[in-house]
Order: sequence, then C-alpha cells, then structure tokens
Amino acid sequence: MGKPILEVNNLRVSFKMYAGEVQAVRGVSFTLDKGEVLAIVGESGCGKSVTAQTIMRLIPSPPSYIKEGSSILFDGKHEISKMSESQMQNIRGNEMGMIFQDPMTSLNPTMTVGAQISEGILKHQKKSKSEAMKRASELLTLVGMSNADERLHQYPHELSGGMRQRVMIALSLACNPKLLIADEPTTALDVTIQAQIIDLLRDIQEKTETSIILITHDLGVVAEMAHKVIVMYAGKVVERGTLEDIFYNPRHPYTWGLLRSVPRLDSDKNAELDSIPGTPPDLYAPPVGCAFAARCPYAMKVCKEIDPEHFHVNDGHSAACWLNHPEAPEVEMPVGIGRGAHG
Amino acid sequence: MLKYVLRRFVYMVITLWVIITATFFLMKLLPGNPFGEAAAKMPPENLAILKAQYGLDKPEWQQYLKYLGNVVKGDLGVSYQFPTRTVVEVIKQSFPASLELGIESLALSVIVGLTLGIIAALRHNKWQDYSSMFIALIGISIPSFVVAPLLSLYVGNKWGILPPGLWEGPENRILPAIALAFGTIAILARMMRASMLEVASLDYIKTAKSKGLATGKIVVSHMLRNAILPIVTILGPIAVNVITGTLVVESVFVIPGLGYQFVSSITTLDYTMITGLTIFYAAILIVVMFLTDIVYGLVDPRIRMSGRR
Amino acid sequence: MDMISKDQFQPAEKTTNANSIVRPSLTYWQDAWRRLRSNKMAMTGLIVLVIMTLLAIFAPLFSKFDYETQYLMDTDLKPSWTHFFGTDDFGRDLWTRVWWGTRISLFIGLVAATLDLVIGVLYGGISAYFGGKVDNVMQRVIEIIYSIPLLLLAIILIVFMGPGIKSIIIAYAITGWVGTARLVRGQILLLKEQEFVLAARTLGAKPSRIILQHLIPNVIGLIVVQITFIVPLAIFFESFLSFIGVGIRPPMASLGNLINDGAHYMRYQPHRIIYPTIVFSMILLSFNILGDGLRDALDPKMRK
Repeated sequence: MGKPILEVNNLRVSFKMYAGEVQAVRGVSFTLDKGEVLAIVGESGCGKSVTAQTIMRLIPSPPSYIKEGSSILFDGKHEISKMSESQMQNIRGNEMGMIFQDPMTSLNPTMTVGAQISEGILKHQKKSKSEAMKRASELLTLVGMSNADERLHQYPHELSGGMRQRVMIALSLACNPKLLIADEPTTALDVTIQAQIIDLLRDIQEKTETSIILITHDLGVVAEMAHKVIVMYAGKVVERGTLEDIFYNPRHPYTWGLLRSVPRLDSDKNAELDSIPGTPPDLYAPPVGCAFAARCPYAMKVCKEIDPEHFHVNDGHSAACWLNHPEAPEVEMPVGIGRGAHG
Repeated sequence: MLKYVLRRFVYMVITLWVIITATFFLMKLLPGNPFGEAAAKMPPENLAILKAQYGLDKPEWQQYLKYLGNVVKGDLGVSYQFPTRTVVEVIKQSFPASLELGIESLALSVIVGLTLGIIAALRHNKWQDYSSMFIALIGISIPSFVVAPLLSLYVGNKWGILPPGLWEGPENRILPAIALAFGTIAILARMMRASMLEVASLDYIKTAKSKGLATGKIVVSHMLRNAILPIVTILGPIAVNVITGTLVVESVFVIPGLGYQFVSSITTLDYTMITGLTIFYAAILIVVMFLTDIVYGLVDPRIRMSGRR
Repeated sequence: MDMISKDQFQPAEKTTNANSIVRPSLTYWQDAWRRLRSNKMAMTGLIVLVIMTLLAIFAPLFSKFDYETQYLMDTDLKPSWTHFFGTDDFGRDLWTRVWWGTRISLFIGLVAATLDLVIGVLYGGISAYFGGKVDNVMQRVIEIIYSIPLLLLAIILIVFMGPGIKSIIIAYAITGWVGTARLVRGQILLLKEQEFVLAARTLGAKPSRIILQHLIPNVIGLIVVQITFIVPLAIFFESFLSFIGVGIRPPMASLGNLINDGAHYMRYQPHRIIYPTIVFSMILLSFNILGDGLRDALDPKMRK
C-alpha cells in the first residue's frame, strides 16, 4: 500500500432543517491509501452515506453544511471542503467516480446507455463523440456485458437490474478515476446478482488498482473485498481496523451486535439471529455520553456521562468504548463471534 | 406501440359516438317541431312533406342511423334560424380566425408558461419562485372573461396602445391572444414547476452530477426532457381551456370566429347550429387528446417500446 | 481521562428507554391548523372569504334598494354615497346587485360543489373499494366522460333545459364529479391495502361500514383540500355560462352576468365592470390561496 489518496479529518456535516440542526456526521476521520478498499459499515441513518456523498460534495447546500475545522484532503493536494462548485465539477467523474444504490432509479430513463456513459468522457477528455462512444463500448465489455455495441443504443428499462448496475459501474469508471465510492452497490439487487457485482468490483479493483470506499450494511460484502473497515454509529466512527481486526477481534459492543446479526453456515441452525434492540438516537439532539449507551447491554455509569475517545488496541485498530479502559470490568465477547468461531 | 395507438383510437371513436348520440336525443327532447317558428304556421300537408323530406316520418331508430351516417359523412345539418346556411358552411367561414387565434395564444402560453415554471423551479424558494407563482395564482384565479374586457377597456380604449377589438392586421391579434393565454400560462407554469422539482429530486440527477456535469448541462439534457413529459399529458385539457376561452374572447373583441358564432347561436337559440358546432368542437378536442397521447408515447421510450402505460 | 473514579465503571441502571425521545405530539388536525395559521397568505385568503360571505349575506338586507326595482330617473349614475357602486341603465343599485350576485354565485358554487363531492366520493370510493371488474368497468366509463369537453356538454344541456339556477346546478353535477372521483379512488386504493382495513374485513365488517367508518375519514383531508378547489371551479362555471348568456338571466343578478353586462357598457361607464370584476377575482383568488395553504398544511408527507 502506498501514499494516501484521501485523508478525512474531523469531518462534521449538519443539515439545517425546519425543526433545528441535524448533526448527521460528528467528527469522522480516516485515511485511505492508494489501491486500498475501505468499507464503512453501520445501520441506516448512521451518517455513512452522508460522509460518502460529502467527499464528492453531492449534497446540496443548503440545507447541508460542512462545519468549520473539517478537512477532506484528496490526492495530497485538493482540499475538497474548500473547493468551489466549478472546481468540484472538474474532479467529479474525472478523478472520483460514484456508484449509487438503486440502479433502477439512478439512470436517466429517457437517454440511451451509451449517451449516459459518454457524457462524462466528453466533459473531461478531449474526445470526439465517436471516440467517446468507442470508449463506452470498451467499458461495457470491461464490466462483462456482451454485445456492447448494441447495448449502447438501449435504454435503461430494456436492461435487468444487474445489467443496469454494470452500466452504472462502467459509467463511474469512464475516466479512470483514482477513487471510486460505492454507496450500497448491492443492496437493491437480488442475492445471486449481488455476488456477481461484488466479484466484478473486486476484479476491476485488482485490474485497475483504483481505491474504493465501500458503503454498506452487509458484512458479507465487507468480508469479500475490504482491506480496512470503519464502523459508524450516530455520525461517529466507533471502531476502526483491518478486516481481520474487525472480524476476529472486535472491541466495541456495537460491532459485536452487527456481527451477531449476520447468519452463518457454521453456527447452530436453531440459534436465533440477534438483533440490536432499540433505534439510533435522534441527531437533532445527540446524547451527552456515548451515543450507543442507551442500547448497550454493557453500559456503565461513565458511558452516559462522558463520550469515550478512541482506545488504541493495536496498530490501526481502535475502538471508542469505555470497556477498553484499563479500569473497566472484563466482559466476555458474545458467543459466535471473534476468534473462537473462526479459528 | 401499435397496440397502444389502437386502444387510444378505439376510445376516441367511442367518445365521439357518445357525444353524437347524446346530441341526437337532446334534439328529440326539444318541444315543438324541428323547423322553427316559420313551420308552425304551415298547413299540415306541407309540414308532412317537409317531414318526409328530412326523414322524420320514419321510426326513431332509422332517424338515428341516418343522423349518425350524415355526421360521419360530414353533414351537420342546416341552421334552425337561417335555413339557407348549413352548419358546415359556417364552420368553413369562421373557423380559420379561431384556429389562428388559438395557435397564437397556445404558442404564447407554452413559451411564457414553461419559462416561468422553469425559473421558479431553478430558483426554488427564492424571490423568482415566489413572484412566478404569484403571477400563476392570479392567472388561475382571474378567468378570460374578466381579463378580456379589462384589456380591451384599458390597453385598447383608455390608453389607446393597441386596437380594442376587430380582426384586421397583426396588431389586432395581440390583445386577444394575451387574454386567451392568461389562464393557460398559469396552469403550465405551476405544472412545469412541480414537474421540475420532482425530477430534480430523482436519483439520476445525482448520477449526472457525479459525472462532473455543469448545472446548466444537467438542466438541459437531464431535467428538461423528463420534466416536460408529464406536461404533454395536459395539452388535451389545455386545448379545452383555449377553445372555451375563444367563446368569450371572440365575443369581447368582436372577432368573426367560430366562438363568436357559437355564442350568437346560443343567444338566438339556433338549436341545430348549437349541436352541430358542439359536435365539431368535441371532435377537435378528442382528436387533440388522441394526438397528445400518441406524442406522449413517442417521447417516452418506455411506452414507445412496450405499448403499455 | 485516567482520572475517572472506579465506581463510574459500575453497570448503569436501565432507566431511559432508547425510544423515549419525543417531540410534543399533536393530532393531525391540530398540526394542520397550526401550520395553516402560520401561513399568512392562506389566512388572508380565509379572512377575505369570510368578509365576502358576510357582505353577500347582509349587504342586500341592509341596503335601501333591492336588486331588481328599476328607478328610471336614476340610470347610469356614477358611484356616490347613495349608490356605492353606482347604478345601471335601468337605475338599479349596483351595490345591492353585486352582493346579491355574489350571494347567488356562492350559493351555486357551494351546492354544485357539494353534489360534485357526493357523487365523486361515492363513485371513486365504490370503484376503488370493490376493485377488479367493477373498478375496471367504472374506470372505462370515467375515461370516456373525461374526454368529453364538459363545459360544452354543460352548455348544450342548459340550452335544452332552459337557463336558470337549477339547470346550472344539474349541469355541473352531471359533468363535474369526474376529477373528484379519480382523486378519491387513487387515495382509497392506497389506503385499502393497509392493515386496519384488512383487520376490519377479517372481522366481517360490511363493505358500506368499512367505506363509511374507515376509508372516508382517512380521505377527509384530501376532500377538504378538494372543496377549496371545486367551489371556485363551480363559481367560475356559473359565471362563464352567465357571461355567454346561458346562465342566470337578468333581472336576477350573478357575478357572471354583471360582468357580461358591464363589458357592454364599459367604454362609457367603467364602474359597471370594475366592481363585479374585483369582487369576483378576490373570491377566486382567496379560494385558490386558501386551497394551496390547506394542501400544504394537510399533506402528511410534508410533516416535519
């Protein structure tokens, strides 16, 4: 792994709404190296999509605001949070590409597939229309579509969901971006198609060495392709580490909860899947202490009073939970996760 | 697509048939004899001859079939008050002026209405939005029969900027076209604004943005086409608006069009003229609606390919 | 950080429920009323309408003149303290006639809109509730009626029935309900799939009971908004017909025929068209503003 392609530091994003300020992202920091796949996991509403879309500045402002002190440094030279809209337009689609969740709605229904792919190429590269179309055809072949030249003239409604997502991927790769953001790329697809799309993404990642930020709540997808993982809850990073750290040695009860809610072949067939009781807090007024305390079975007095900072576990692995404090009582990790189950 | 066109065509034919049938039976309900005042004083033998001539001595269902046949052949009968004039003659004479006025005002309303709607949507919740929508609200609330006299009175008579009436040169076209377009502009502006806002919130606009396209480019090549689609569907009702508007506007500005004819045949109770013109108007409107359905099918690839809606 | 005392690491008591954060709860109608009240435009519309209605009821009662008596000595007077809006070519007092006409127009608007609603809600409700074949047939009928130009149909109906308040109301009732029926049907189709209707049906409630007790209350919001759009439509309908001469005939007054009359005399006596026009436009504008405000206030999707 080489130099960092993206350094996010203390990112805070709020929405000014009719009823007050929603603090959707509350101080997120992470680093993504070149050629690396970083997964951001968490429940819906935890701020992972807002984080991703803010990196491309896709959320309209107003109502969203990047707060003072936030920094998004891209490729060592572009400070995204300070860029003007026209500067962003030169980066979007060119140096960064984005794949959205629902391929049924994220393609324009009245425009041919070829036109939609070549649009970005025409904007960023000095190419003629026919050259752009030729490139679009190559891209469709790259994402595993047969008869690419015919596909170019089809409309999205003539393609299946999986095919459309392939088009979406081709579209995001059009200008060989350095960073690809995939926002729940498989959530809206059938299970069998999900696997194909993940395989495709992994293939492309290996071939092109593009850095990828993968937003998902599906830990299966994470295990398939991520190198590093950050777990988000209520607008904050609660645990970060390598794939192995998070799966084999998780240190935050929220991560435990996420892991226990995934069905596994090797577990007892009759064992019930665990869910995490309760719902995430209202981000109009985030709680004083740890945001997870109200739902945490291990909550201590301190959790409700002071928000924990990250406790260092080992190189690159840290968790924001008081249980990692030396004074805290030893807690047994729930059965079925961590080293025991996989080892 | 063919299936879709056929289905629409069948609806069109049924609707026309319903209207023709309705007018036939309304005519039958009319008290007195079908030849007007003059015939009441005729000797009964002469009346019988006249009735035979028009086939009125036959049973009603035969009369009905004959009437239906005549309408299909394009014979809408003769005027009740002036038996020397056929309805079709009157249409030939006065429809061109109405058609011209209608097209001019429709062009005006599409240009102004869509522009207002687009501006309002792109400047959502800013002063441009509020002022466009206020104009639209006034346009919806103040009908043509109020606007037309006021325009004629102030712009025409008091200030003398444009002629207050008649149908001579191009300067005579301006005020009637504005009066007629007033309400349509409002409907189009409101609809276009809503449609643009709807499209702006869709996912593929975000996709377009993520390609790095400039805002202007996104508006032109992604938003406009998709936002105009639903507008096509209300062109039918808008045509109704324009046609009913001509009744009023032509009367106020004394334009020798079909609307003026229609209103005067209402005042003189020229029954055959009224029903004949109604069938003609209805036919135009229904054909317009049929055509807008086809156009809608053509511009939306989803319908063009599958033939479903 | 390291200064935290040991007892802080005792397990916390489970006191607060994770779901307990609540904003003060308002009923649907309280919430809608709160939002309508904060909408200045809509409230202005409401107040103007109330004033207009009061004037329409009381102005003719307290006037020295009635709407039809002709004073041939006092023809074509300009507005004055005796005749606030002047007089017409028969010497009739226009102040009285304008408010009398407003009363007629509002009356026709309300009655016609009520009929429109009753027919529309029943038709739409039945069509949506039974679904399947019934719905299919009823929708085909609507589709045909929808493509008949209603104003034209109304004109010939009235021409053959003879002009008058009754004919106008009947013509509107026959032709006007289609829009309401479509709207109600759409809404009920949405509601019908929801659990509470399913539950009622499982418990064996009769269709009529389900429609009246469960579905209609849930489309009330929609209907309230619809009323503010149909009443002006019906008023427009009456005035349009009166304007082209098939509606209310003089000496009876209506806003439509007053405007029509005024248009003939406007070159020399602008007051004859100005006052009825202002009253008419204010009524329609207020209804539309109020309708827009109500729609915003009652739309649960916009609820924050």
